[in-house]
Amino acid sequence: MKLQMLKTVLIGAFCALLSMPVLAQEDELKKLDGYIDFGDLSATYGEPSISINIGGTLLQFVGAMSESSDPEAAKIMSELKGVRVFGYPIERDPAVARDKFTEVKSTLKKKGWEPVVQINEDDEQVLIYMKLNESVMEGMTVMTVDDEEVMFINIIGKLDPRQIGKVMEGFDVHINGKVDVD
Amino acid sequence: MNDYDEKWEEQINALLDGELSDSNAEALKTQATDDRDLARAIIEAYQLQKAMSSVRVERAPDSLRKRLRAIPREYRPARTLRILQPRWVMAAAVVPLVLVVASLMQPDTPSAEEIEQARQDLAIAFAYLDRVGQFTGREIETTVGSTMSDAIAGSVIRNLKTQYETSKEKEA
Repeated sequence: MKLQMLKTVLIGAFCALLSMPVLAQEDELKKLDGYIDFGDLSATYGEPSISINIGGTLLQFVGAMSESSDPEAAKIMSELKGVRVFGYPIERDPAVARDKFTEVKSTLKKKGWEPVVQINEDDEQVLIYMKLNESVMEGMTVMTVDDEEVMFINIIGKLDPRQIGKVMEGFDVHINGKVDVD
Repeated sequence: MNDYDEKWEEQINALLDGELSDSNAEALKTQATDDRDLARAIIEAYQLQKAMSSVRVERAPDSLRKRLRAIPREYRPARTLRILQPRWVMAAAVVPLVLVVASLMQPDTPSAEEIEQARQDLAIAFAYLDRVGQFTGREIETTVGSTMSDAIAGSVIRNLKTQYETSKEKEA
């Protein structure tokens, strides 16, 4: 009986340890001011259509690898601490996603994020917020929602929006409703 | 029993066991010639020893002896392998846990596959950002016309650029 309990505890501890790197990466980002919690919509929409969570360590490595081929992109990446993207297909019930959209917008305002772009069309909304700390950019949050998809993007660290195109040239990625990575 | 009695009792026992030195034995005998109580005590002790030696010790039957010998074996807690005892299982289990923790504490060095995956993920993230940027530009253009669009979009970009450059200057 005692041994059985011991075994259960040990298996539990081992599983917890295995999940530590993923949790640690998310926890590492949560501590930063540029981090925004988008919650979890998977209970309503199932698995996200896109889920990206890149921490500072990986960004440094990606940047370091681009150093010789694209120093400009490497420099941009060296100033990023985290990149998070979550998207859900919401045709089933767009109302839940729109509620979450409003909730995150309210959180951003409460936490002192500044609105940069707000587009409120009937069928599509776009919000871009920036978090500044004494003029130092700590994060950017981009949210879009239409009748088909909701998208949350959280860039933690510094990013010059004009340089996104530059990075894109190096990556050779095309989005036309669907993402193609060459 | 007083100290005097205790002293003689020890000497008498030693005498009967043959453990008393010759000089002490002689002294005891000399004392006994003058001390009748002591002499009686020596005689009684001698007689008791003689009587005890004549008592025959009955040997228990073999079957009983066998059963008696078996009792401790039957009531002894079941022996488990020493290595299966909880404390050793715990100790053994701690080893891989310590190794996992130690490996987690190492500075993260992602594999080439992880870096490539992160690169692709990053590309997708930037592609979405780019798409939002293009959409924003189009919306502004549709709403206020291309001339005003440049002014507004330019203003937004200038604002972002200022923030970015200020933060860079601050850092420097």
